[in-house]
Amino acid sequence: MNALIFTTILGIIILYLGLTKNKKILAPAGIAGLLVTLFLSFNDWGLGSAYFHNMVVFDNFSIAFNISMIIITIVIFLFGIDYYKMMEFHVAEQYSLMVFALVGAFLMTSFSNLIILFLGIEILSIPLYILAGGKKFSFKSNEASFKYFLLGSFATAFFLFGIALVYGASATFYLPEIKTYIAQFKGNLPPMLLIGLLFIIIGVAFKVAVAPFHFWSPDVYEGSPTLVTAFMATVVKTAGFAAFYRLLGIGLLPLPESLEKALWVMTGLSLLIGNLVALKQYNFKRLLAYSSIAHSGFIMLAMLSQHDRSASVILYYTFVYSIASVPLFIIFILVKRASNGLDHLKAFQGLYKKAPWVAVFMTILLMSMAGIPPTAGFIAKYQVFILSISQGYLGISIFAILMAVVGIYYYFNVVREVFTDRDHLEPLVITKLNAGLIIVCGIAVVVMGIFVWHLPI
Amino acid sequence: MNEITSAIQLIPLEHYIVLSVTLFSIGMMGVLFRRNIIAILMCLELMFNSANLLLAAFSAYHSDPSGQVFVFFIMIVAAAEVAVGLSIVVMMKRNVESVDINLLNRLKW
Repeated sequence: MNALIFTTILGIIILYLGLTKNKKILAPAGIAGLLVTLFLSFNDWGLGSAYFHNMVVFDNFSIAFNISMIIITIVIFLFGIDYYKMMEFHVAEQYSLMVFALVGAFLMTSFSNLIILFLGIEILSIPLYILAGGKKFSFKSNEASFKYFLLGSFATAFFLFGIALVYGASATFYLPEIKTYIAQFKGNLPPMLLIGLLFIIIGVAFKVAVAPFHFWSPDVYEGSPTLVTAFMATVVKTAGFAAFYRLLGIGLLPLPESLEKALWVMTGLSLLIGNLVALKQYNFKRLLAYSSIAHSGFIMLAMLSQHDRSASVILYYTFVYSIASVPLFIIFILVKRASNGLDHLKAFQGLYKKAPWVAVFMTILLMSMAGIPPTAGFIAKYQVFILSISQGYLGISIFAILMAVVGIYYYFNVVREVFTDRDHLEPLVITKLNAGLIIVCGIAVVVMGIFVWHLPI
Repeated sequence: MNEITSAIQLIPLEHYIVLSVTLFSIGMMGVLFRRNIIAILMCLELMFNSANLLLAAFSAYHSDPSGQVFVFFIMIVAAAEVAVGLSIVVMMKRNVESVDINLLNRLKW
């Protein structure tokens, strides 16, 4: 709870630091504040304290996810020092909006009442609508921002209508009470409740970009400023899946058969669409967008396996995915700068000659995304498959493994471009801080893959 | 409060449900088929408010105030959301000199 309050104040402080016209203090102030938040979160570990009449419960599950998201945000802020160097105005707003979005993410991991889930989703989304339109004079950024806003509000409307219907049936917003209410029907739910639950699931599924509610994500990822895309692909996804797991875990499981089938269809479709459409993508950000849809499919598989270890596996998967994809976005920014704004995969050509070690670490990070040992991405996927097979979902597990193999192709398409020659090489400018961070993330991925196989929850 | 609750209960619950589902569907169709951005924003508001109406009606019928409190939260969030949405529209209008949604076709697969 202290972490939540402190983060809110931190956002306001950064906003007002912008008045000093000194851009250099913004990122360090933000990082220092986030480190304090990290410390406050560690302090709450194991207490499981509840606030606001039990509407918010900070148990170990939520604190573990919060810590993971704070670490990712710190990494993004560190990359932001270089990214926002060229930007003249409104740098403080960028940082503080990210911090405000983080507040919403904290609420999404710790709700036990549908009101808080709604508020969390909105506090997370509204800053992101603005951040997506960060490049005011770029048509693409405008379009991304508006598409995100329109489809986000559309999904929120469905979500609200679902809450209203569930409230009408059960007369409560508290998830544990809704759970006992659902349990008394033993699978034969009245239609109003069923439609309400379906609408709530659609609303959350939209936020995490699970097929068939994924259409916004490639466009928004492509059009937004790249650092914001990195934030969306990592922190928002982690928060969304924490909320999804919590919603199912404390509220809706065991699901009625029809809804469970719907969720399995969503899992299969995400795996299929994410991986197959990514084969045909030549824009790096779109490629990562479709790969993130595919990753959503794997996380859904872990979530629907309904085992005690599911939460831990989801945490490990989202953290490993985040720590690998943020540096990939950053390398893409650097390469794009060097090649005059080219965002085709061809921009990576000749990278191994310009900066051999960047090429090596990029290969390691892509290997982690594809799930090849000895990287952590392999362990994450391995644990998902073990979990789903042990729970008896053999068919979809084999399908997921096949799709993971398809995934290797398009990740190595990028690796091939990295190691392809090009005639004229533009120099790649890379600051010491960025270089250090890319190396740290690359090493972290390998070390986690060899030594750390699960995170405590 | 009691007078309002009994006044709401004069009309059967089914009528409220049908009315909100109708409003929600009108709003949804508007978002899907209108081509003017301002009209789309209005239709989004309609969708939010149909949920509000439903919550208020259910709240009166269950004699449970939490539903009506939630309506206030929704109104506040919807106001914030429309403020952001309209500013995004203004930003777009400055660049493309139009509020027609068909111009948003630069990002495609």
